[in-house]
Amino acid sequence: MVILLSQAVATGNCWPDRYTQIVVVMAQLWIETCWLIPVYGLVGAIASLPWSMGWIRLTGPRPAVYINILMTLVALAHGGLIFQGIWNQGGQEIAFTWFEAADFKLNLAFELSVINLGAVELIAGLSLLAQVFALGYLEKDWSLARFFSMMGFFEAAMSGVIMSSSLLLTYSLLEMLTLSTYLLVGFWYAQPLVVTAARDAFLTKRIGDTLLLMGVVALSALAGSLNFNDLYEWVKTEDLSPLLATLLGLALIAGPIGKCAQFPLHLWLDEAMEGPNPASILRNSVVVTCGAYVLIRLQPIVVLSPVALATLAVVGSITALGASLVALAQIDLKRTLSYSTSAYLGLVFIAVGTEWPGVALMILLTHAITKALLFMSVGSIILTTNCQDVTELGGLGPKMPATTLAYSVGALGMVGLFPLGCFWGYRLGIDFLWVDHPELVAIFLIVNLLTALNLTRVFRLVFLGEAQPKTRRAPEVAWPLALPMVTLTVFTLLVPLVMQKLYLLPPWTYVNKSALVCLILSGVIGVGIGATIPLSKALIRSMSRPVRLLQDLLAYDFYTERLYRVTVVRLVRALAIASDWFDRYVVDGLVNSVGFASLLGGESLKYSISGQSQGYLFTIVVGVSLLGLLMTWTMW
Amino acid sequence: MISEHFPWLTALVIFPLLASLPIPLLPGNHKTIRAYTLGVGIAEFALILYTFGRFFSLHDSGLQLVESYSWVPQLGMNWSLGVDGLSMPLVVLSGLVTTLAILASWNIKLKPRLYFFLLLLMYSAQVGVFLCQDMLMFFLMWEVELVPVYLLISIWGGQKRLYAATKFILYTAIGSIFILVAALAMAFYGDAVSFNFTDLALKEYSLPFQFFAYLAFLIAFGVKLPIFPLHTWLPDAHSEAPAAVSMILAGVLLKMAGYGIIRMNIEMLPDAHVYVAPFLAILGVVNIIYASLTALAQNNLKRRMAYSSVAHMGFILIGFASFTTIGMSGALLQMLSHGLIAAVMFFLAGVTYERTHTLDMNELGGMARKMPTAFAFFTAAAMASLALPGMSGFVSEIAIFLGMATSDVYSTTFKVTIIILAAIGVILSPIYLLSMLRRIFYGNSGEVIKQVPTMLDIRPREALVAACLLVPVIGIGIYPKLATQTYDVKAVALSNQVQDTLMLVANNPTQPSFTAFTAPQLTAAATISNAGLIE
Repeated sequence: MVILLSQAVATGNCWPDRYTQIVVVMAQLWIETCWLIPVYGLVGAIASLPWSMGWIRLTGPRPAVYINILMTLVALAHGGLIFQGIWNQGGQEIAFTWFEAADFKLNLAFELSVINLGAVELIAGLSLLAQVFALGYLEKDWSLARFFSMMGFFEAAMSGVIMSSSLLLTYSLLEMLTLSTYLLVGFWYAQPLVVTAARDAFLTKRIGDTLLLMGVVALSALAGSLNFNDLYEWVKTEDLSPLLATLLGLALIAGPIGKCAQFPLHLWLDEAMEGPNPASILRNSVVVTCGAYVLIRLQPIVVLSPVALATLAVVGSITALGASLVALAQIDLKRTLSYSTSAYLGLVFIAVGTEWPGVALMILLTHAITKALLFMSVGSIILTTNCQDVTELGGLGPKMPATTLAYSVGALGMVGLFPLGCFWGYRLGIDFLWVDHPELVAIFLIVNLLTALNLTRVFRLVFLGEAQPKTRRAPEVAWPLALPMVTLTVFTLLVPLVMQKLYLLPPWTYVNKSALVCLILSGVIGVGIGATIPLSKALIRSMSRPVRLLQDLLAYDFYTERLYRVTVVRLVRALAIASDWFDRYVVDGLVNSVGFASLLGGESLKYSISGQSQGYLFTIVVGVSLLGLLMTWTMW
Repeated sequence: MISEHFPWLTALVIFPLLASLPIPLLPGNHKTIRAYTLGVGIAEFALILYTFGRFFSLHDSGLQLVESYSWVPQLGMNWSLGVDGLSMPLVVLSGLVTTLAILASWNIKLKPRLYFFLLLLMYSAQVGVFLCQDMLMFFLMWEVELVPVYLLISIWGGQKRLYAATKFILYTAIGSIFILVAALAMAFYGDAVSFNFTDLALKEYSLPFQFFAYLAFLIAFGVKLPIFPLHTWLPDAHSEAPAAVSMILAGVLLKMAGYGIIRMNIEMLPDAHVYVAPFLAILGVVNIIYASLTALAQNNLKRRMAYSSVAHMGFILIGFASFTTIGMSGALLQMLSHGLIAAVMFFLAGVTYERTHTLDMNELGGMARKMPTAFAFFTAAAMASLALPGMSGFVSEIAIFLGMATSDVYSTTFKVTIIILAAIGVILSPIYLLSMLRRIFYGNSGEVIKQVPTMLDIRPREALVAACLLVPVIGIGIYPKLATQTYDVKAVALSNQVQDTLMLVANNPTQPSFTAFTAPQLTAAATISNAGLIE
């Protein structure tokens, strides 16, 4: 590369020529070193180990923070340079051999395309903001450095997932994401709720991941390669039996179902809200995006099985409706938002299931930015008031203007309000589904309505009304929190412009007017209901029995957790106890009883040694006569 | 030059033994002895690395550095040693684990002379088992290995140490009788009497005889590996043994059985292996699921780890049964990887025990605040054990899965069943491992913390031991070639041999009495492999 560069410098005689050459060569250099992007995060994570492990105490944990923020900046810059190069030159693929056994090879490959790099930039950008936010949010936490190590690792895994073009690498990195979720949720390990939350997050995702692994193994055996491009080629010619195709498709979508917190593997996201808020910012925006992105990459393979596609749409619909409803009954500030993450990802699943990956990408992009903003504002509130129960909040609007603005912009961006972010995702989805799947259009509209309702409800509870004991002294947050929040507020407002710049906006010529009206109407109705429903403290737990039952049903997520506890968890526990019992009393019991029998035999034989000769004589006589009897048996 | 003719392998085998002899005469207290032993351990490990680094060729699948001296000519017993891709990484593993085990027994103050003498004796015997090329010598080394373990458990063990030690010695001694029986039978089979591995492998045995010998070896190694239902000695022995001994037990001794299965059952009795392989796969699955479930029900930390060892050994059996290079390679890697992971797990359990004097997880809890670094190491070890990508366990398990999936020997139904059942183990392992972490480290302080208020975090020496074991785990996980290149050619040769035998067996299905034994899928194999042959 250096030689090329110097050649370019040497051979170019006129300046503009030489300049373009250098630009091209440099772009190539950035592209070839694309694998560094995930490495930056990892380097940050490793470099901050001395602080997080407590080997360096003198400086305090701050240097670790700076290292990680710097690394994220570098990744952002590098990603931007590659993005430029790719924009001009087109996509590229880079592969390494990882595992070899005779002629069997497993390759790890990275693919660079505009979409990939866009997603990587999104991740790096949001991660940067979240890290600055974390600097303020966790300022007083004694293990700040540990948090930043984990964030670096988290970021590395995410950008790796996006860039990977080999299913094996994707799977591995998804597991890395699982690990980092586990570590980040378990960050405050002494908290009682965290204890199970971290474990459940890991286990739920692991179930999805293991099923995905089965799909990976099957694909490797069937197609002989795990590179996405090879697999796409293979799909075109392959004629699998319907059963096998269905199993394969279902296995492949199981991973993203777990990762995107879709029904029936959705419970972890709720519990994961016990983790620190800066991690929640990323988890609800870009981490779920990674899972969905993998699903989009897998979609050309999943099409082998219509059942799997239908499952996607069904799972998406159930989650979208269910989670939107459940969100309405949450009183925990973070959980009101986390369920809507599940709901939006449900919409993405519907889009992928109906083979409109473009819609899915659009929703993912816009949702990620606005959801990150919402979580930042929520984080500011939690830090300032030390409270995340919406029933104890109120009247924050005039006290925390920046936060209020951030929440409002985020909320507006979240619902289908023209021209902010999610409007475009909704519009595209409704347009495409209008003819073939009116029932799915209805789901889009209902989700929009319920989300608008929920966000308005939360807004009224938190920002309007009278100040509560916990919100009476609530100053606006300090700059490390305010800076990323305001930046993201501005960026959220600018998203439509950016999308236009990148040619992502659909042309106005194909406007489906009735769809547009429905979309706007659903949002307006949602806001209207949200603005008018009574929200007095007395209604937190209604006295009327039917209402209370409904509230509880939604607040406890349709009792799914209890259902799992009495079915799956109990079953596994019973099996474990049964096998332990079997091991102890049957397998080992047999051995012990053999030992016991021989001891008993020895002990009892001991008494035959009496020392009296008549006893011995008698034994001999009996023995000999028995022997004689036996030998002469045939003669009798 | 001295280096060419110097008997390097003999030196490797007898150096720790010779070096252990002066221990009773050493002056000073336990500090001198442990330092001396550690020096010997490191010297031996360095010698191992030097020998293999200098004289071992990675591109040769045959035996290298062969040495043979007549030892007991009356019995036809030779002192013959040799190394190939199969034994080389295992010798390195035992060198590493045993040296670290010496470092891990830093605080042994009861009869240190005997303790460290026994450790070094074990060191010799382990290296001897992996390097020897003579059946009688193998048996001898195998037995020499048992006695120190018995003594180490029964003197330095936990509360139920006598029961555990007796159970261990009875199980393994009875098991090893089968090695002797089979070895003698094989040596005297046919015209020429020989105990040499190569000669034995070249002999043509009749199929019933092969079954007999195969079964005998399988029982002997099945005790040690262990295979359900011969495993119950292991949780007792592992949980009662001192930490360093558990490290060696789980890290190296279980691998001796895997090594034995490859060396004897697969290499010498390939015909029988073709018939028995499906049952090995089934046993492997039983091991995985049964032991994982049982592990979940354990309240004793080390017992839980012990059952997890049993579960992980099940994967090895599936790899052996896969008839593919990648499956075989995965099984070999699983032996190495589990050797490292199990060693670090038991070591960390020992670290915890030294501070809390209990292994009951009901009494532990909330330890993360007292021991944050130990918590980090524990988490890393648990992640390695549950086969997280980027750790060696993942590479070996996915290789075994792929090996089974790509195997053209079995019917699709059989393969899918085996893989899915094994995958249940992959889901169960985080359940018991994370619940272990949760019960030890997360949440409110347990009983123990209240009793031991001044609990120290992991010391630098202990961190060093854990790091030395975890670094290779991560290294192999990120770049598997580090480990696979050492045995690659051997794995290819092995699977070729198995494939050839498979083809022969498939073409001449002799001994109709055994057709009942052959799983129906083998007929499908015949057609497939024939087709492959014609093409």
